[in-house]
Amino acid sequence: MPATSSPDGPPGTGDPLAGLHDALLAWLPTQRWFPAKGRRIAGLRTVAHSVVSTPEESPTVEHAVIGVSFSDAAGGSAEERYQLVLGAQAGPPAEVEHAVIGRRPGPDGRDEVVYDGLADGRISRLVLSLIVENQTRGPLRFVAEPDTEAPIVGPGRPLIGEQSNSSVIYGERAIMKLFRRATAGLNPDLELHRALRRQGSHEVAPLLGAVEGELDGEPMTVAMLQGYASNSADGWSMALASVRDLLAEADLRADEVGGDFAGEAHRIGKTVAAVHLELAAALGTHPLDARAASEIEAWMLDRLDRAAEAVPGVAEQRDAIADVLRGVTAAEPSTLQRIHGDLHLGQELRTPTGWLVIDFEGEPSKSLADRVRPDSPMRDVAAMLRSFDYAAFHQLAEWEQSADDPDPQLERRAQEWADRNRAAFCDGYTEVTGTDPRDAPELLRAYELDKAVYEVLYETRNRPSWVSIPLRSMRRLLTPAGRGER
Amino acid sequence: MNEGVSAGIAAAPIDEDHVRDVTEDHGASAVEEPSADDFRHARTLPVEDDWYKRAVFYEVLVRAFADSNRDGFGDLNGLTDKLDYLAWLGVDCIWLPPFYDSPLRDGGYDIRDYRKVLPEFGTVADFVEFLDQAHARGIRVITDLVMNHTSDQHHWFQESRRDPEGPYGDFYVWSDDDTRYSEARIIFVDTESSNWTYDPLRGQFYWHRFFSHQPDLNFDNPAVCEAMLDALRFWLDLGIDGFRLDAVPYLYEREGTNGENLPETHAFLKRCRKVVDDEYPGRVLLAEANQWPADVVEYFGDPAVGGDECHMAFHFPLMPRIFMAVRRESRFPISEILAQTPEIPSNAQWGIFLRNHDELTLEMVTDDERDYMYAEYAKDPRMKANIGIRRRLAPLLDNDRNQLELFTAMLLSLPGSPVLYYGDEIGMGDNIWLGDRDGVRSPMQWTPDRNAGFSTCDPGRLNLPIIMDPVYGYQAVNVEAQSNSTASLLHWNRRMIDIRKQHPAFGLGNFHELGGSNPSVLAYVREHVDADGFRDLVLCVNNMSRFPQPVELDLIAWKGCVPTELTGGVPFPAIGELPYLLTLPGHGFYWFAIHEAEER
Ligand SMILES: Nc1ncnc2c1ncn2[C@@H]1O[C@H](COP(=O)(O)OP(=O)(O)O)[C@@H](O)[C@H]1O
Ligand SMILES: [Mg+2]
Repeated sequence: MPATSSPDGPPGTGDPLAGLHDALLAWLPTQRWFPAKGRRIAGLRTVAHSVVSTPEESPTVEHAVIGVSFSDAAGGSAEERYQLVLGAQAGPPAEVEHAVIGRRPGPDGRDEVVYDGLADGRISRLVLSLIVENQTRGPLRFVAEPDTEAPIVGPGRPLIGEQSNSSVIYGERAIMKLFRRATAGLNPDLELHRALRRQGSHEVAPLLGAVEGELDGEPMTVAMLQGYASNSADGWSMALASVRDLLAEADLRADEVGGDFAGEAHRIGKTVAAVHLELAAALGTHPLDARAASEIEAWMLDRLDRAAEAVPGVAEQRDAIADVLRGVTAAEPSTLQRIHGDLHLGQELRTPTGWLVIDFEGEPSKSLADRVRPDSPMRDVAAMLRSFDYAAFHQLAEWEQSADDPDPQLERRAQEWADRNRAAFCDGYTEVTGTDPRDAPELLRAYELDKAVYEVLYETRNRPSWVSIPLRSMRRLLTPAGRGER
Repeated sequence: MNEGVSAGIAAAPIDEDHVRDVTEDHGASAVEEPSADDFRHARTLPVEDDWYKRAVFYEVLVRAFADSNRDGFGDLNGLTDKLDYLAWLGVDCIWLPPFYDSPLRDGGYDIRDYRKVLPEFGTVADFVEFLDQAHARGIRVITDLVMNHTSDQHHWFQESRRDPEGPYGDFYVWSDDDTRYSEARIIFVDTESSNWTYDPLRGQFYWHRFFSHQPDLNFDNPAVCEAMLDALRFWLDLGIDGFRLDAVPYLYEREGTNGENLPETHAFLKRCRKVVDDEYPGRVLLAEANQWPADVVEYFGDPAVGGDECHMAFHFPLMPRIFMAVRRESRFPISEILAQTPEIPSNAQWGIFLRNHDELTLEMVTDDERDYMYAEYAKDPRMKANIGIRRRLAPLLDNDRNQLELFTAMLLSLPGSPVLYYGDEIGMGDNIWLGDRDGVRSPMQWTPDRNAGFSTCDPGRLNLPIIMDPVYGYQAVNVEAQSNSTASLLHWNRRMIDIRKQHPAFGLGNFHELGGSNPSVLAYVREHVDADGFRDLVLCVNNMSRFPQPVELDLIAWKGCVPTELTGGVPFPAIGELPYLLTLPGHGFYWFAIHEAEER
């Protein structure tokens, strides 16, 4: 029987990770998924801990939720909670050496090495087999999605790349994502993938299973298993290849160069539209009435004020921006539904047969309650339009760091690329839903500007060299010519 | 593909002169056909089961390669003289478009006599000599055979018109009216308004899927099937190594169907295959069916027995996708079509090509893509023909050496047997001012001398003019000059063909696309394990972009192995735990052999 412990551990042992705190404090900031790099950590505690493996199984596998509190101003009061899967063994194989966190006394008195469990193929294999067999281990329930073909059980290997969570790939057939940020409640990534699978969606990777646990007496999503789209590339890198091609061409227009992206943008539009229809069919729609609109408007204005506090460029334009944001309440009646919530070109995968939308967790800065609240599909559309702007001007932003004088000719061409692909996206979207997002210009513009304001704030804090991209868009959206897409 | 619409030749009705000739002849109507025993037979090559999977094919037009008798026409004896060159280049199999006797109203695809050679090209004896000399150099030869129809000048048709009750009366598809099989589409919409044409002599309509001067044979008549099998046997007895079967989907017609890919057609192809397997083992059949791969695989026959129809079939949609991928700087046009290509039987093989004697076929792309390809590759309207683009490889790629190498490297490494088109190995140009598709059929450029060394005739007698422009003209682009420079495109092609031959994985191996983070990079492995357990593993990485690109590849399955670059033999760093990082120059490519660490 796997041992389970309360946060305080079995009587007499105290915090089961007590001996590892210092090691964890050193290890956490080196992890890609740890968002609080550079912040001063004030404390660390174990919120939950359980042993997943049976005594017969080796290595020992543990699941933990840790709480981290910060001592700087940005930390505020609340602690951040993260999930860990740990492996522990006296002499682990060389493959996991790069993943070692620290050492602690083992059950037999000898020291054992504790490491990031996802790096160990034996551990990822165990997790997969538990899912396939629908097992429960302590507080963790491993569930296979009903009526799916179980993937062949084998060791996984960690996905390498920028990620806010941690994924493991099983033989190009399945991918499992461990949600690093621990939040009580059903994760929308799992919730929406489940709903879309019931709709028979071809626009998302099929859900194969999940690991579910508990936090604060509520259910918590630990991990999610999906079909793996082998041989795919994300839309962001494809768009950048296209822009690079255009900017290198002396005098060709966006529609004339070989690397034209409009065909793909059109397909992405169709894909996003299909996802919206499927989400509406699965989880329903509500009218975007005056009350709902004023809630959204209040939320946008609140975010605007936070940005204005931090960024003078936003503060100067605050009232003009607020005017545009009020477009939400002025708009024709429309509908609310569950949406993706954090759409951009990097959340779309080109596979040899078409496009997939991934990562339905929603905007990371929002609370779970806000992320699952129905919203206008226009938020997703606007987010995609913003993403095309980003792709178009990204390279210029990099160049501008070295040259003070942005080349107006290049800027015009980047704008042309953005316009062309934004239009192609909207055309594709319209083809599937039958309604053209550009027919609701106030609503679309409000959402786009809301997003741009958020981006200005984000870039100012995190990537100052990119802030020119959303600032430029903000200016465009505030001039009359920026109204509407046509 | 059939020749398609020949410019300047209208769909003429039956040639009245011939009608008179035949009606005046009241002699016996069963015509004596020559037998293979009337001729010397070429030596044959040892039977090798897989040769067509490993072979590099080379398409050559007899009329355009070398002229031995100074009449301005290339001929079989001229071709025989050039076999040493093809052997030096590394060609394994020559594919000859039809060289049969023909009125040449459809580039020779309108056959007047299955057992006679077009007089301009020579005689059957000349062909046997050519075949014998090719075999002496280990080179095989296949040729086109049109089974669906003949020329209206074929004596079978003339007899059929004259004598409905005679031995050939039922050789073609005759009808009292023109209403049957109305669901079969008209293929040459530009010149034909119906698949039926009225013959005043017989007083009936005859069926033709292509031009009205090409009546369809009636395969429902067992005598037609026998006559066609005997035509195959005639050339197989002489020693030929196989046939490319032209226009195979249309052999039969049935009411209520579109008359394509009918079960009866497949049954007849199985009969042809059985004749080959039983009587001529080691010879091959190649299907010409310009259809989507999912439909073409039917022509390989039953996968349970490894395939029992054609050994090979052309993969048509791959070629335009290669062009599109490089233009879009994205691997997906290629990945997409390969993902849509079904598994083929174990004895089957695709034939793949970049260019051939037809236009760059755009039938197998969507309308959007076709517009795009026209815009990109056919900047002058004269470059478009039918639904394609009429250009040679080098001008299509702006004569850019890097792209020429990249395209050829993909042709030689993607799944299938590569078919090279004569002249592309030296980067020959085209002449878009010539009518029809002759623009890509100009004489081979051998030397900087008169007539490019193709012929010693008076230049005015040349069948088609030699290319003279400053970039692609014969003074700049010719075999002699390129043979003398090891840095030439010709030498490069020869080296690549040679490398391909050293690695059975290219021809026999399975194909696995690796994906990778960079959408501009197409990476795949080819892997073959032979009967002795020897594993040949080749990794190919191609940069579709004109800019240098990094790519991270997941090679963890070969952890500890060392990739060795194949053109220079330089070992690269061993594969470790992390993604394998490579940097490719613009339009660059790498071929690596992956060796187990212990082997070295
Ligand atoms: N189903 C899938 N098939 C193939 N690759 C995937 C799949 N899902 C995610 N990926 C890859 O993993 C990366 C991160 O996935 P994502 O779900 O966005 O994780 P995160 O929530 O950490 O951002 C993606 O950018 C993509 O490259
Ligand atoms: Mg993501």
